[in-house]
Amino acid sequence: MKPPGPQPGVDFAQLNLRMAQILVRLRQAREVTVGCSHKHAVWRCGKTTLYRYVPLATARKARKRSDARPLLICFALVNRPYVLDLQPDRSLIRRLLEADLPVYLIDWGDADEADRHVDLEEYIEQHLGGCVRHILASHGIESLNLLGVCQGGVLSLCYSALHPQHVANLVTLTTPVDFHTPDNLLSKWVRGLDTALIEASGNVPGELLNALFLALMPVRLTQQKYVRLLTGSPDERAIEDFVRMEKWIFDSPPQAGAALAQFVRWFYQENRLVRGGLKIGGRPVRLADIRQPLLNLYALEDHIVPSAASAVLGEHVGSGDYSACAIATGHIGMYVSRAARTEIPARISTWLKAHR
Amino acid sequence: MESPFSQAGFRPDAAFAAAAERFFELLKTFGMPAAGRPADWSALTAPLAGQFEQWLRASQSAGPWFSGSGAPAAAPGLAAGAWSFGPLPLGPAAAQTHEAQRTFELLAKLAQLQGQLAVHWSEIADTAARRFVARLGTGAAAPVSLEQSLKLYELWVSCAEEAYGATVHKEDFSRLQAELANTSAALLVEQRRHAETLVRAFGLPTRNEVDALYAQLKELRRQLAELDDRTRASPAAGSARKAAPSRKARRSGKRARGPRSRR
Repeated sequence: MKPPGPQPGVDFAQLNLRMAQILVRLRQAREVTVGCSHKHAVWRCGKTTLYRYVPLATARKARKRSDARPLLICFALVNRPYVLDLQPDRSLIRRLLEADLPVYLIDWGDADEADRHVDLEEYIEQHLGGCVRHILASHGIESLNLLGVCQGGVLSLCYSALHPQHVANLVTLTTPVDFHTPDNLLSKWVRGLDTALIEASGNVPGELLNALFLALMPVRLTQQKYVRLLTGSPDERAIEDFVRMEKWIFDSPPQAGAALAQFVRWFYQENRLVRGGLKIGGRPVRLADIRQPLLNLYALEDHIVPSAASAVLGEHVGSGDYSACAIATGHIGMYVSRAARTEIPARISTWLKAHR
Repeated sequence: MESPFSQAGFRPDAAFAAAAERFFELLKTFGMPAAGRPADWSALTAPLAGQFEQWLRASQSAGPWFSGSGAPAAAPGLAAGAWSFGPLPLGPAAAQTHEAQRTFELLAKLAQLQGQLAVHWSEIADTAARRFVARLGTGAAAPVSLEQSLKLYELWVSCAEEAYGATVHKEDFSRLQAELANTSAALLVEQRRHAETLVRAFGLPTRNEVDALYAQLKELRRQLAELDDRTRASPAAGSARKAAPSRKARRSGKRARGPRSRR
């Protein structure tokens, strides 16, 4: 690239030096690791893996054996779940483990061409349902706690409505419910998509979804955040943190064509969660059938799932024990911001402990 | 596990360098009026709009849906080439003339839609530049320090995003985005159809045949799961299953524990 020549008023020599330093640090940080807590694969179905997190030593010491109900985290299909356990000081999962909760996580894996016909029914009933059944059998219990994140929250709502006997308590995090709020840009863009064509095209690569998400706010998301690196003089650690997030943002898995087409059609285009008419495996999914205690956490500055899209959940579920909490951050901030490190895990664990 | 980040795809250093280059370009533009003196900011409208339009054209190309040959990636540093809707290595020339016709029609439609998109980029860039100049007012002096330049940059980003947001939320833009996606997908499907013709000529299984096999396999799995559920639900069947000799026992000729099952 061409460095700028001397200009009055701005110390470009200093700026160039800073840029060179940051470039070196960014290159050095490319191999950063992600995911910090120990976990074991305990069950598999297709490309989906269910992990159980190893309880932390501190939590084990505090209590010999946790009697808490297991918590299953159902993340979105469109992103990788390791953002919930990015690094020790930015890990929602670690904070939940510290609260002595037995934590399980679903990793949907990478759909390949053999999975192009995997649909939402298969993901909800066989993959998510299989994970639930495995945990229930392992613990010898009848119901667990379910935490659905973003698109995984939608899948969790569907599952909870279809199998209320298996879900004791439901937590939703940045979960879209009303897909037709006026500020939902993503919804406006995909409203006119020909979903039959998407399905016929096969799997949709993760890069395409990344580009779609970045195109929602291109100047901030592909320019300003890097310029802030240049002007903020970050240290080595801050650069590593930055690269970890970048790694996650650009590491979206490919999407099974059938499931994505159904998700776009049923939720983004037809808004069936709110308007009704949603069926999974021939069975009607009604939010009114969700009568479990429900905690709904959403972000106030979310550009992917507008707060209004989440906030309406309480109006549609049948639960008599519904709590909601709006957090002053953005979509990704819900996973890695200061609030994600302190407020969100504290709210979840306190609420779950009050709903044993 | 392959990922665009770990492989030859996204490079944060490349994205940073590209953003820094664009930032320096803006600083140069901001510094065009003599430093410290009251500036005629309106003179910046045209260069700012021009730069932004160029960036939108290059970075957003035809929206996120399509990255045709030679089209830059949506984000700097993000590798093109892994897109679903990109052209196959088999060009229209590989297909029969009548088949190629449809591909050419789709490519023409895509070019036409890209032209329409370019009109939006122009509108966004012009609005952003005008908004920026209006917010600065007439009394503002040209920046004399990096901090002042950064404030201008932050203002520019706000104006750019506001102008972008105002356009991309509109119905005609949303319809255009969807049309681009649909045309790109149709092109991909068409190209795959050509590929299938070639595959069939070589006696290889086609996508449709593989899909049909998959559908059969899925149905068989479903029936097996149903059968398994029914077996588990029936206590008599369950005890009979328990009593059945194990595979190992059958191989070694020994009887499994428990009562002998009836034949």
